[in-house]
Amino acid sequence: MINGTIFKQTLRSNVKLWLMFTIVLSILQVVMIAVFDASTLENVGGLVEGTPLAGLLAQTTLLSMLASTFYSIHGVIFPIIFIIMTANSLIASQVDRGSMAYLLSTPTKRSTIIMTQAIYLIMALIVMFLIETVAGIVSIQVFQSDTDIVVSDFVMLNLGLLLLMFAISGISFFFSSYCNLTKNSLAFGAGIPIAFFLFHLLSTVDQSLDVLNYFTINALFDTTAILEGENYWWKLSVLLGIGIVLYIASLEVFKRKDLPL
Amino acid sequence: MTVISLENVTKDYGHGRGIFDVSFNVKKGTVYGFLGPNGAGKTTAIRHVMGFSKSQRGIVTVDGLDSWTNASTIQESLGYLPGEVALPENLTGEQFIQMMMDLRKVNDDTRCKKLIEFFELEASGKIKRMSLGMKRKLAIVTAFMHDPDVLVLDEPTSGLDPIMQQRFIDFVKEEKKRGKTILLSSHIFTEVDATCDEISIIKDGHLISSFNKQELLKITEKVFNLTIQNETHFKQLVQKIETNEAIHLLFKNEQTKELQIGCYPSDLSKFIKILADFPVSSFNEIPFSLEKHFMKFYDRRVGGELAWQ
Repeated sequence: MINGTIFKQTLRSNVKLWLMFTIVLSILQVVMIAVFDASTLENVGGLVEGTPLAGLLAQTTLLSMLASTFYSIHGVIFPIIFIIMTANSLIASQVDRGSMAYLLSTPTKRSTIIMTQAIYLIMALIVMFLIETVAGIVSIQVFQSDTDIVVSDFVMLNLGLLLLMFAISGISFFFSSYCNLTKNSLAFGAGIPIAFFLFHLLSTVDQSLDVLNYFTINALFDTTAILEGENYWWKLSVLLGIGIVLYIASLEVFKRKDLPL
Repeated sequence: MTVISLENVTKDYGHGRGIFDVSFNVKKGTVYGFLGPNGAGKTTAIRHVMGFSKSQRGIVTVDGLDSWTNASTIQESLGYLPGEVALPENLTGEQFIQMMMDLRKVNDDTRCKKLIEFFELEASGKIKRMSLGMKRKLAIVTAFMHDPDVLVLDEPTSGLDPIMQQRFIDFVKEEKKRGKTILLSSHIFTEVDATCDEISIIKDGHLISSFNKQELLKITEKVFNLTIQNETHFKQLVQKIETNEAIHLLFKNEQTKELQIGCYPSDLSKFIKILADFPVSSFNEIPFSLEKHFMKFYDRRVGGELAWQ
């Protein structure tokens, strides 16, 4: 099912990129927690009272600040870029360049190759967010020890983000398995996640753009619901479902397609 | 026993590209040459043998197994040398060899070492920095490290220097002696000529000619060059040849008293009997070459030369 030799080789050629993104993501998280100061935000809040920005700064807890910054912009776009680059290099670029021929000229099943590569991508995301979460919890203890923070909510934010990334990685991985050319794999595998990200970002800018939220799976990672204790489980389950379906589809499509090797 | 078999295989990529109704069999222990110009469909046919592509019509089998549904099983006893070298660039040659050994579950590296030595492969450096020829050698070593029974070679000598080309041809001959079944695609006549028993010509996706080389030799006209010692005999001989239907005068030079004569193998003894009465100072056969015979198939436009402009 999973081939250790291929996994080792995949790890060797992709681990540098993963490490870079994990470090950047964790540093961003730590810095944002470290610089948070509730009283400054209150002052700024006073300045923007009555303007559209007021809504953005209305809640001034650490987690709500992170929800509207890290968990909707930085923490989303960085992993998306990582996913786009990695997913393409795992399958489509190897088919496009022809180096996949070497794997397939050994007694290795196509399904084994796909599953091994998929496991790498999923594991990379899980470990990335594990490190980021631990870094976050540690920096909360260090920099915000006097602030009242619900750690379980913080963990849920990260779990939600991980599930969103799992679904998005499914999209990129699917197109990497489906397309024979890197350019096509990137057009869809990068285009769709970035479009989703932008739709979600725009929908938060103004109420008139709220409709865009219906065209993006990023809306299923509902930070407000998580922080205010509303029911968010079904949304996260949908993200999990999307991811699982897309990974299975990737496997089936790769098993059946013609390879120009 | 048939090892590789294609039966009425069709794969249409559109725009006239692909292969159409291609059938051939490669018997155990023989070398099958697959000749054709660039873009004729050689690689497409090989893709089907390897199980990379599924045919729209027809069946491809290797050792009796369907090459699409049993692709991974077939690879256990098959060595494949791709036409284009595309190796994972971030590895060193040695790491790549080790990876392929692991994937093939080959534990004994004696054959691998022998191959490295025979092809003078320098595997320690990064693949990214290797020359095309060195990458090619690396591909050769990894294709045959598990001592496969069936070899599928797609334009194997391109990118190799002449010495290595010869060495590769020797290697193929040696493997054939050991009973290996070989499918070799090429557009280089000399390598096909040197190694193959059966030859097929493919053009625009259609097999246009299949033949056995030994049989072809029997039915092809032989060409001889000879020089006669003096002018009187020269003229007499020319006259005799011109009146004889079995022997064809292809060329004569009265100054040097040279003749070029064509003659089918069945009439050869008649020709020699005639010659016996003449003072011949030199006599040699121009070796048969496939190139001459098949150049006509090579031209994309049937029936004629096309001027450059």
